[in-house]
Amino acid sequence: MNPELDLGIDRIIRAPRKQVWDAWTQPAKLAQWWIPAPTRCRVERLDVRAGGGFVTLMSDDGEAFVPHLDACFLAVDEYERIVFTNAITSGWRPASPAPVAMTAEVVLRDHPDGTDYQITVRHGDPAARARHAELGFAEGWGTTAAQLARLAESDAER
Amino acid sequence: MAQHSAVLDGVFEALADPTRRAVVRRLGRGPASVGDLAKDAPMTLPSFMKHVRVLESNGLIRTAKSGRVRTCELNRERFALVEDWLAEQRSIWTGRTDRLEQFVTEEDQ
Repeated sequence: MNPELDLGIDRIIRAPRKQVWDAWTQPAKLAQWWIPAPTRCRVERLDVRAGGGFVTLMSDDGEAFVPHLDACFLAVDEYERIVFTNAITSGWRPASPAPVAMTAEVVLRDHPDGTDYQITVRHGDPAARARHAELGFAEGWGTTAAQLARLAESDAER
Repeated sequence: MAQHSAVLDGVFEALADPTRRAVVRRLGRGPASVGDLAKDAPMTLPSFMKHVRVLESNGLIRTAKSGRVRTCELNRERFALVEDWLAEQRSIWTGRTDRLEQFVTEEDQ
């Protein structure tokens, strides 16, 4: 893990591993926890296999739904591991999601108290995106801010 | 969280302009007067002042008037908010883990 780009979460969940797996892989269940209330979640695609699509939408009023996640599963080991990325869409098109591309790995292990639940999220480098923006590929795109802040800091050090 | 987003919206809007980004870049080297900053901008002083006010109202810079000179400086805390994307992602994933945990443990009952 790269501490500047990645994050890890490890938690013991007091429920059997299969139940945690089902909460991740059954659309009706995922929709109930994936997005914080009161925002509503609609699971558009949840094709839990390598190369399968993972698409969720969200809505503030329960009527108009807007994109939330358009991602692709990279690896799936039943009851044990789910890996997906938003750097590739559900249609396998390379993407540049905001604010930064990531690969999330969810690992489930048996534990005396339930399930040892581990998440590792590996991020791309947001500065690379900002450089891209500054060069004019996406004029006005907000992540320029991060690069500007860095630029401002480095100029100050000179 | 929503409030945090609103602040970020303002920050990004303020930075979505080349004149304002040039001001931010210049102020990264240290405080400067509005007069000096305006010299580098190809526009009238009143037009330039509008840009300064957008940056100020979104908290990206602070200005202070001393006599007839208004000095601008970067508000670095506001940039820290933008820079802290990893903390933001962590809070999203921690929230998801909290909700999943609550969901599967309440399912049992």
